[in-house]
Amino acid sequence: MVFLIQKTLIYAIPLLIVALAGMFAERSGIINIALDGIMIFGSFIGALFVYLMQMNNVFADQPQTMFILSMLVAAVAGALFSLLLSFSAIKLKADQTIGGTALNLLAPAIALFIIKVFFMQDKLVMPKDIGFVILNNDLPLFAKIFFDKAYVSTFIVIALFVILSILLYKTKYGLRLRSCGEHPQAADSVGINVYKMRYLGTTISGALAGMGGYIYIATVAGGTCDGAVAGMGFLALAIMIFGNWKPLGIALGSLLFGLLKCIGPTYTFLDLNGDGVFLLKDLGMPMYFYNLIPYVAVLVVLAFSSKKSRAPKAEGIPYDKGAR
Amino acid sequence: MKKLFSILLCVAMLLGVISLVACGESKKPTYEIAVVTDVGQLMDKGFNQGTYEGAKAYAEANNISYKYYQPANGSDASDNDRIAAMKQAVNNGAKIIVAPGFLQATAMKTVAKENPTVKFVFIDGWALGLDNVTAVTYKEQESGYLAGYAAVMDGFTKLGFTGGGGGGNPACNRFGYGFVQGAEAAAVAKNVNVEVKYSYKFGDSFSASTELQTQIAGWYAGGTEVVFSCGGSMFDSVKSAAAEYPNSKIIGVDVDQSSESTQVITSAVKGLSVSVERVLGQFYAGKWDAELANKAQNLGAAEDSTGLPLDTWSFKNFTKEQYNDLFAKIKDGTIVPKAETPEQANNADWLKANLTKVTIIFE
Repeated sequence: MVFLIQKTLIYAIPLLIVALAGMFAERSGIINIALDGIMIFGSFIGALFVYLMQMNNVFADQPQTMFILSMLVAAVAGALFSLLLSFSAIKLKADQTIGGTALNLLAPAIALFIIKVFFMQDKLVMPKDIGFVILNNDLPLFAKIFFDKAYVSTFIVIALFVILSILLYKTKYGLRLRSCGEHPQAADSVGINVYKMRYLGTTISGALAGMGGYIYIATVAGGTCDGAVAGMGFLALAIMIFGNWKPLGIALGSLLFGLLKCIGPTYTFLDLNGDGVFLLKDLGMPMYFYNLIPYVAVLVVLAFSSKKSRAPKAEGIPYDKGAR
Repeated sequence: MKKLFSILLCVAMLLGVISLVACGESKKPTYEIAVVTDVGQLMDKGFNQGTYEGAKAYAEANNISYKYYQPANGSDASDNDRIAAMKQAVNNGAKIIVAPGFLQATAMKTVAKENPTVKFVFIDGWALGLDNVTAVTYKEQESGYLAGYAAVMDGFTKLGFTGGGGGGNPACNRFGYGFVQGAEAAAVAKNVNVEVKYSYKFGDSFSASTELQTQIAGWYAGGTEVVFSCGGSMFDSVKSAAAEYPNSKIIGVDVDQSSESTQVITSAVKGLSVSVERVLGQFYAGKWDAELANKAQNLGAAEDSTGLPLDTWSFKNFTKEQYNDLFAKIKDGTIVPKAETPEQANNADWLKANLTKVTIIFE
């Protein structure tokens, strides 16, 4: 049981922060379909950073400092990369979906190209024994869930989640950002710089997605950057829609999805109530069934919740000062 | 201004293309020794890498040019991709092509027939009825046997095995079969009950995956003490899972993997680089027709091509002396681990025969 909750958290955290990233962009009026690409780019730069640092023996014996630093580097990389999207979508008024798709195609290509040229292989593995995980084996059961086999990224993401939710809903910046996604002409009429707000929203989004991508490869994917994040960016997009563009819904969605994603590899030894009966294994279903569950669940949940779903009204429409 | 800029850009791109073409024409380097990799990474710390390093070592020692070729599409490479890679090697002037992995049979047959002057070394393969192909296989079951025996003798009773190829890779199956037999022999000798978790679930393409990592972490969480990671880059997933459980141990495969993690207790080795070097040596000494053409060698303990690495010994209760005794018995044929595995080993019935002290939990 503890194992399942721990693993759920580890899967849910990158989804949470990337879905949050999507929300920030869309709330400011830019469809950020490039989440996946930004994740890949952020993860690649983060992994490269760790690799170079370890080669030069900087912070080699302080894994947590290194982890936090590399997360920051990944966030900066993501933010810079997302400027390509905001530039095309805001300044050039290009179609945002196509711009985002271009970024999605560009990111793995860049990452793989550099890895192939400089490392002569298909993937970049962060050096051995990286020690990002925090081990606390002797804690009482309940505290174990959060503090044993934990990653510092988990706490950072939860803190970011709270801070950003407050930023979006309780501050004037948040209100301005949201108004630009709903009715930018109205926002402009009261003196808000819509372009600036949209740049801000997309850049925050890029930073979060870049960091999320790096957290994914550092915690879930065993420190391996191979120019892919297993479609986590698109899953995060689905979770954002499922969460109705609201932070709490997104948190719920990512936890649910994290749990379902865990069941696939673990169902054979899941014993929820501890009575020695492995219910899911005894059902005798093939493993593919359990691997399918999360994706089918997303489809079903989206089908049922889409009636109530309320996207930001002006998202995807380039801002035109003259329109009314 | 904009127009000028775009014209400049066009010119720059054209120049780039022309200069690239010029490069291609001016000098065409040749590479005599070629390695065409199996599925998975070149630097997989195992199978491909071991083969490549053998070729590299021989080539560098004798000042011969060498190059590796990775078939396109990575783990989903088709026969056409392999054929393309081999043809590229031939076009680059390869005299001998070393190709690890039984999956290369079809491609090799095609290319070897078309290029009778180029020699092929088929690692983990079989004689193809062509005079320019030689095959090298290993008795993986012996290394697996030694690893399983050593682990149980050292005091581990809950073992795990995760194999690549989805049950369809003969080498991985032999490793696993030997591992179980070794564990059984030691369990009988010590009179303890041993449990082996056995899985092919997430190793189809010999690559690391989050699913594999979660599964192995679950094994460790459930009390499994040591996991035999049998398949190239799958090792990365097992290593990451083990990092969360400080007391857990790993058994590596193909080459000595103890430098990858302090949790590796031993590795079920097969002498890839040594045998590749030897075959290359025979070829360059002009002995191809006499010793290698259309022959298959099956290397094992007798040729010192299987076993556990002694330099990085980390067992506490199982000593090197005990190991040497056992190894000698395998060498002289007193102990012969069975090697008959089914082609598609996606159930455990074939493993369970003749087990008394070992329980198999198949996933």
